[in-house]
Amino acid sequence: MISVLEFLARLAVWLFLAPLLPGIINKVKAWVAGRRGPPVLQLYYDLARLWRKGVVLSMLTSPGFIAGPAIAWVAVLAAALLLPLGPLGTSLSFRGDVILLIYLLALARFCTAWAALETGSAFEGMGAAREVSYAVLAEAAVITAVLTLSMQSGSVSLSAMLTPSAGPGAVLLAVGLFAVLLAENCRVPFDDPNTHLELTMIHEVMVLDHSGPPFAAVLHGAAMKLLLFSVLLVQAVLPVGELSVAAASGAMIGGVLLVTVAVGLTESLTARVAFRRVPLLLTTAFLLCVFALLIAWKGGAA
Amino acid sequence: MNPGVLLAAAGAAILISILGAFRAPRGWLATLLAGALAAAGAATWILTTGSAWEWRSAFLLGGQAVHLRLDGVSALFLALLAVVGGAAGAYSREYWADAAHSCSAPRGRAWWSALLLFIGLVLLSSNGLHFLIAWELFAVSAFFLITLDARRREVRAAGWLYLAASHTGTLALFAFFSLLATRTGNWDLGPMRNHTELAPLFWLALFGFGVKAGMFPLHIWLPSAHANAPSHVSAILSGVAIKMGIYGIVRFSGWMPVPDGAGWLVAGVGVVSAVLGVAFALGQHDLKRLLAYHSVENIGIILMGVGFALVAAEHGYPAWGALALAGGLLHVWNHGLFKALLFLGAGSVLHATGTREMSRLGGLWRAMPWTASLFALGAAAISGLPPLNGFVSEWLVYLGLFDAVNQPGAAVVGAIPAIVLLAVTGALALACFVKVCGVVFLGAPRSHDAEHAHECGGWMRGAMLVLAAGCVAIGLAPFVFWLAVHAAVAAWRGIWADAPMPESLATLGFVHMGLAASGVAGAAWLWWRAHRHGWARGLTWDCGYAAPTARMQYTAGSFAGIITEWFSWILLPERHEHRPTEEFPQHAEFEEHTPETVLERVIEPVARLVMWASGMARRLQHGRTHAYILYLILGLIAVAVMAVSWSR
Repeated sequence: MISVLEFLARLAVWLFLAPLLPGIINKVKAWVAGRRGPPVLQLYYDLARLWRKGVVLSMLTSPGFIAGPAIAWVAVLAAALLLPLGPLGTSLSFRGDVILLIYLLALARFCTAWAALETGSAFEGMGAAREVSYAVLAEAAVITAVLTLSMQSGSVSLSAMLTPSAGPGAVLLAVGLFAVLLAENCRVPFDDPNTHLELTMIHEVMVLDHSGPPFAAVLHGAAMKLLLFSVLLVQAVLPVGELSVAAASGAMIGGVLLVTVAVGLTESLTARVAFRRVPLLLTTAFLLCVFALLIAWKGGAA
Repeated sequence: MNPGVLLAAAGAAILISILGAFRAPRGWLATLLAGALAAAGAATWILTTGSAWEWRSAFLLGGQAVHLRLDGVSALFLALLAVVGGAAGAYSREYWADAAHSCSAPRGRAWWSALLLFIGLVLLSSNGLHFLIAWELFAVSAFFLITLDARRREVRAAGWLYLAASHTGTLALFAFFSLLATRTGNWDLGPMRNHTELAPLFWLALFGFGVKAGMFPLHIWLPSAHANAPSHVSAILSGVAIKMGIYGIVRFSGWMPVPDGAGWLVAGVGVVSAVLGVAFALGQHDLKRLLAYHSVENIGIILMGVGFALVAAEHGYPAWGALALAGGLLHVWNHGLFKALLFLGAGSVLHATGTREMSRLGGLWRAMPWTASLFALGAAAISGLPPLNGFVSEWLVYLGLFDAVNQPGAAVVGAIPAIVLLAVTGALALACFVKVCGVVFLGAPRSHDAEHAHECGGWMRGAMLVLAAGCVAIGLAPFVFWLAVHAAVAAWRGIWADAPMPESLATLGFVHMGLAASGVAGAAWLWWRAHRHGWARGLTWDCGYAAPTARMQYTAGSFAGIITEWFSWILLPERHEHRPTEEFPQHAEFEEHTPETVLERVIEPVARLVMWASGMARRLQHGRTHAYILYLILGLIAVAVMAVSWSR
């Protein structure tokens, strides 16, 4: 009974807190630009409105156009549920769950790109191509970060890997993972979520043809993915599992807020890089993770 | 009933089916399926009980007594042979029907049965001579299957290339088995791990079997043979025939001592094959050629598992070695299932549209919903996505490699890059299969042929359904199939037999079931929610453009462009472009072709050199008698000079 309640609480955190993050980012951006900006809860209003709306489909799309966002959403939620939530711990932990998490995100990517190609639009094809291509480098960085954590803790399960801090390479790992977070969630400097020019977008251009409830699933999934990467980053760097419940909760909430504000600041203070430089940036993130790994291997473990 | 009876029944059924191939196609299929069922039964028996079946007969063949054996390793491959051979055989009933191929269809059926029989014999024979005979017959029957449609030039060329490459490998195997026989004194095969002096022979076996497996850079024959063979033949070539190379490597690395460092080489070749296989696949425009390169990739993943198992065996780490080997061997099954499914799907597309060029396809889901959804399932499985089977085997390999990293030892240095590159391979494969599915099945039809496609019939659909069911079953209940893989691991190294099933494998299975159920439920819910007031249909949003056409869609080449640019150092794409110039451009074109680098840049120049040298040598023979007399005199003088100078 307790475990069911706990699971529901965890589910609630992911489902109901996730849309808060884009709102905070937008507030930060507005604050830097000296505007008032949309309310923090704007995404909640948008989701509620989209959920009630009807749907317009392209004449070319198959049922996969609806199934794609649904499965992608389920995959992101499942990946999120595998992740321990600081003092709440995790409801399911097993050896190798971290690999499942990475591949669940890949499943979400497959479904999103599939749905994008449904429409036969050149722009959405372009976005899908960019998404799956840059993901190759992002995945290399993520698996290297995971290797670092695994080496640090001597384990292949998330709850054990995320309990201690990332050791002496923590700063490198934090910067590398932050870059991956920006790339995977299509934020500046990799992508601009606010742009209105289809030619220059990655993620937003893939969902141009979605509308109504499927679009709500896409937006909510994206918000959950952002929260997932923030939680992962905070727990990878801070020794959340070794703190008391209160301190851990504070560290978690503070850390996630810090990451969110940092995303907003990055977005306000830097410009999107040219597409041909995106691989360079991602390679840098990968190399940062490699250095963290080398420190964990040669320095930390000894 | 014991395995022997079942195997005898299988053999008899396949022999009868060869007779029925010409006159009674229905009888052929019935006996073939019966034989496959019996063989699958025998394999299941061995794999579930973990025992081995052995039969020595007094009957002499080529001066050697017949000695058959079925143990965990060979039963694993036999089960795959039975499933893929049966399913693709049923598929061929419609795909290569008598009505369309009155001449080659009966021949194709006979060679099909022969191929299954000889692969089966390779798996069973426990005598070097008989192994070689069966191996050669298997290679030859595959040749005749590849060249069923011998009227087309490129089919004949692909067939010859296959035959040449295959025999290069067989030559190495001849050397391997005869040296083995001279060193041990007889042709009998079996565990001989205490004869450490035999270790260097493993290199010969690795080369010979590696050519068949299509590991990089010995894969040169594979793309054209897979692309030009009839699709059911491509399915068994990729699903089973190249796995026989893996069988050879696993079999003889299990029975024989292995030289130090061989594991590293196998694992290294595996990593290279995996990454470059998928890179070459991304550059392809031909649907079946693309799938063929993915075979190179997946062989790479299998070899990574096997290679690290060898490293573990050398350095004494049974725990993670068994995991890596189990992952590799399970991937043999998985790749056999989903690659056969994908080739059969590609065959349905070819059957319906008459083209393998992806740039001429598109929007096929409307006409071929079954093929499209089954192909999509296969694509998700080969990209290693949960909850399907491809993920389970890659997960086991990952687990083995992570454990290798977490135990101090020599393997850490190799396991780290292997893990990173395995992840990169997965992401690249995903990119490639998103491209294939999108370009072939989604969007708008790019040609008249694609617009007037039709769904395949019951036999073809049924065969694909069986293979797809296999992919789903292994994905959702991996713990059931662990038993089989464990039997193979135990047969490979007896002392690894007590490696327990990773407890998390069962958890993974349950998570997969939950994921599948919630995925279906989520899709249904969203469908219901979106459809509750019906939906409006409109044009695709194309930046406000009012009349988008099919030609404006993203093509396969542009989709893969970013990644193929990264790999252009090895892909060496050939581009011909004519840019539009004036204000009213008259003519513009762009063409890109990715050559088979190893074949066209390495093997062919060398072959041309050899041909040139032999052409030069042929000038000596021109039919003029007086010149021949001169040769004789010169030869005599040379011999005399040699004799005189040596006698001093």
